[in-house]
Amino acid sequence: MTRRPDGGPDHGPIRTADTPGARESAHAPRHVPAPDATEAARARLARAQEELLAALVAGAPVPEGFDPVRLEVQRRALVAKRATVIAKIAPELPEILGAGYRPAFLAYARGRPLTGGHRRDALDFAAHLLAQGRPDDAGARARLTRWWQDRAGPRPPRTGPLARLTRSPLLSRLLRAVRSASHRR
Amino acid sequence: MERLGTGIGWRPEIAAEIAGFDGLDWVEVVAENLCPDHLPPALQELRARGLTVVPHGVSLGLGGADRPDPGRLTALAERAVALDAPLVTEHLAFVRAGGPATGSPPLEAGHLLPVPRTRDALDVLCANVRIAQEALPVPLALENIAALLSWPGEELTEGQFLTELVERTGVRLLVDVANLHTNHVNRGEDPATVLDALPLEALAYVHVAGGVERDGVWHDSHAHPVTRPVLDVLAELCARTVPPGVLLERDEDFPEPGELAGELTAIRAVLEGARHDAAA
Repeated sequence: MTRRPDGGPDHGPIRTADTPGARESAHAPRHVPAPDATEAARARLARAQEELLAALVAGAPVPEGFDPVRLEVQRRALVAKRATVIAKIAPELPEILGAGYRPAFLAYARGRPLTGGHRRDALDFAAHLLAQGRPDDAGARARLTRWWQDRAGPRPPRTGPLARLTRSPLLSRLLRAVRSASHRR
Repeated sequence: MERLGTGIGWRPEIAAEIAGFDGLDWVEVVAENLCPDHLPPALQELRARGLTVVPHGVSLGLGGADRPDPGRLTALAERAVALDAPLVTEHLAFVRAGGPATGSPPLEAGHLLPVPRTRDALDVLCANVRIAQEALPVPLALENIAALLSWPGEELTEGQFLTELVERTGVRLLVDVANLHTNHVNRGEDPATVLDALPLEALAYVHVAGGVERDGVWHDSHAHPVTRPVLDVLAELCARTVPPGVLLERDEDFPEPGELAGELTAIRAVLEGARHDAAA
């Protein structure tokens, strides 16, 4: 019999004859803690995971008990991964920014956590650079502006049939014209 | 457990090379990179040739404090159906935090982070796995992840944590031997000890991947060749059980043609060697 270390209710034996391997079903009900206990565990786990992730991506202090050196290694790994993913889903950005892409992205990402998905992140990164009058090269800046304008619509690019239709050059020119007209108002 | 054989992680960048591999039994695809209505033609060709395709999710975050998102679960289920997959796989990790449960802004990690091996995390994980199993049309297997850091105050070993998870949910295991090697270097956890404690009867398949050591820390990069220590962990596993499937992963810095085929050959040699040892 097992007893939870927190003195919670005894849920009986957890090792049953109905172990995986002996059966092919995807579902296997057993050892279910009381719903309240799981809710309390969710709340405690939520706090602990939020503290760690905030330290890793949002500049929050290192939570107690963690090795700060390892946390820094993990922080760097996360932001490097983020830069790699952005370069993959928006290959135009490293193309336009060249060797400046990675340092610019790492500087942007510091203290700016990923919240709304990588496509949103790519747009925010471009907007962040443009707002600072970067990149310095006017041609690159114009290309980045165009890249951002083409994508910063009311909704992110979709992959369905409707999206392919709205990506048609004629229609997107039309949409851009409508958008800029409405901005002028 | 269904036999899968030897496979490779299908990525668009190496689709042509994969199409030419001899003796490939199956592939795994990153579920989030796939649109079920528009499967890449190269992938459809592999399916037509009889290769099994398994969707591998990276964004569910079943080790997170929140219940798994129904939309993400539906999407994963749709991909399993579209590919006629015998199972789907995900990770034993958390990938986001914050939000309403904490009163803090929602945060995305953008990658897999380790779950604390505590009673709390295990209870939540088991509840989340059951929710996922209810939503999925095929069995689910979860992968052990590579960790750069350790949580303080852990109450269970990797073996205890995974064993109890399997007993309580019936979930299957995707054992990544490169991640066992990573956790050996980064957290001092001996792969043989972990393997001894794992319920290998729940093994669905095995991942093999390359990485690199920098300043005493192993980075599970999937961008470097598979190294001998990782193949040695595979051999350790094969000395304990016959894995139903083994899969090579490469995600970045794709090598010259021939190198991945060579790594598949090296993997097959480890499996063969274990077979001979067992027969001897």
